[in-house]
Amino acid sequence: MYILEQLVNGLCQGSIYALMAIGYAVIYGVVGLVTFTYGEIIMMGSFSAFYYFIAFGDNLLFALVAGFITAALVGVIVHKVCYQRFLDAPRYISLICTIGMSMFLKNFATLVFGSEMKGMPTFFEGKFISLAGIRINYLQLMIMGIVILFSVGLTVFLKKTRIGMKLRAVSQDKKAAALVGINVKNTTLLGNCIGCGLGGVAGILLGVYYNSVLPTMGGMAGLKAFSAMVLGGLGSITGAAVGGVVIGVTENLGIAFASSGLRDVFAFALLVVVLIVRPQGLFGKKGN
Amino acid sequence: MLKIENLVVNYGYISALRGVSMEIKENEIISLIGGNGAGKTTTLMAISNLVKKAEGSIVFNGINITKMEANKIVDLGIAHVPEGRNIFKQLSVEENLIIGTISDKKITRSKVNEKCEEMFLLFPRLKERRKKPGGSLSGGEQQMLAIARGLMMKPKLLMLDEPSLGLAPIIIEEIFELLQKVKTDGMTILLIEQNATMALNVADRGYVLQNGEIVLTGTGKELLNNPDVKKAYLGI
Ligand SMILES: Nc1ncnc2c1ncn2[C@@H]1O[C@H](COP(=O)(O)OP(=O)(O)OP(=O)(O)O)[C@@H](O)[C@H]1O
Ligand SMILES: [Mg+2]
Repeated sequence: MYILEQLVNGLCQGSIYALMAIGYAVIYGVVGLVTFTYGEIIMMGSFSAFYYFIAFGDNLLFALVAGFITAALVGVIVHKVCYQRFLDAPRYISLICTIGMSMFLKNFATLVFGSEMKGMPTFFEGKFISLAGIRINYLQLMIMGIVILFSVGLTVFLKKTRIGMKLRAVSQDKKAAALVGINVKNTTLLGNCIGCGLGGVAGILLGVYYNSVLPTMGGMAGLKAFSAMVLGGLGSITGAAVGGVVIGVTENLGIAFASSGLRDVFAFALLVVVLIVRPQGLFGKKGN
Repeated sequence: MLKIENLVVNYGYISALRGVSMEIKENEIISLIGGNGAGKTTTLMAISNLVKKAEGSIVFNGINITKMEANKIVDLGIAHVPEGRNIFKQLSVEENLIIGTISDKKITRSKVNEKCEEMFLLFPRLKERRKKPGGSLSGGEQQMLAIARGLMMKPKLLMLDEPSLGLAPIIIEEIFELLQKVKTDGMTILLIEQNATMALNVADRGYVLQNGEIVLTGTGKELLNNPDVKKAYLGI
């Protein structure tokens, strides 16, 4: 039973990782570059929700929407500072700039929000349902539900709308996209904002699940998002989602069999093993 | 329709175009021929503003497009089918066609479908593969798809960079017939080709590019009969 409960914990935590990784994959797709600021975007989303809860009461729906928008707006700043100005410069300049931006945001948060850990409101007061003897929290169900909602929403948006088609086109081939009349600059900005928004939502879920927000929470979160995306296959959205869940489950089952201090070791060990066997990731195409 | 004056493009120390001037009139087929590295692709890239120009001006229907953003140039009615095709590998064949209409905000769903069917009539091979990802097509099929995508854009000026590359002779012939047909529908065409005989046969006029300079110009017939052209590009 303990193992099954750990599995449920893993699925829930994995779903948060999945949403983080999906956002990362969207950004990686349109920008064509990894970013080191993503963890801080997650952190900013989480902090924004902390203050929205204080200002407007414990309304999760409102916090999710407002947190998405806040993180997307931080995404606009990242885009203006790190990408737009260096479009014609070598790519590593943007990359280094995202490292600087990451440090800036972390320090900004420490200064403005304070370095101590802050608590998030609790939802459902620990209520749970018992399914064949396994305890599943309402909170866990809700988190997984929200992640599924956002993932399905994103997929429909990308597959069925004209803007979604533009985003996919820009992710695949910027030159060809320009040649069919797509405004590549604006579309990249939009994709970056959507990715950041999803990261912000994931940050809120993370904060609510662990009941804590910290200016330094972005470091590990960004690393997990990146690992999940690489595990799934660079830039593949389905891959990112699966990668996130796999990492979450591995971590929690790892805890069940060994010590909880080794949580992060399992995830990264898994990543290394998968990349040795399948360098393109679970869902990546060869040569990408 | 399109007036190019004194176009200069450099890649670092390499000068790819050294003062190219050309003019294309409404409803003409113009062929631009030249050997490898002559600067043909660069000329098209410069028109689409995908490379930086050191000098020169390009005016399309009275509008100066020298420094205009690439997508706005498309909106004015210039479609560019690039060398190397640049189809979207992970979009389906059908989506690759639909995306040709993406900058037309007012187009209706049924109109898009109608245009897709037109393309499938021209290229039946694409119809069989409509749901497959673009990247799964053979080189020749990708070339057809790139041309079809260009036609979906219903441009005023269609620029094709070596459309015959990698296609079987029968299909090349079909494509050249197709070009003459879309010309009668009112389209203007700028055609880049290594396949000089065919290109000059369909062309109203042609330009010969060498080392980044226009060395010869004339009607298609004149160029076909020009001894220098014969020797250098027709292998006669
Ligand atoms: N991205 C680039 N960087 C540096 N030099 C380039 C680049 N693209 C083209 N060149 C150079 O510019 C010159 C013109 O190239 P271009 O591609 O326009 O020739 P082309 O006439 O299209 O040749 P081909 O028939 O082989 O396609 C060549 O000398 C080429 O080496
Ligand atoms: Mg070329």
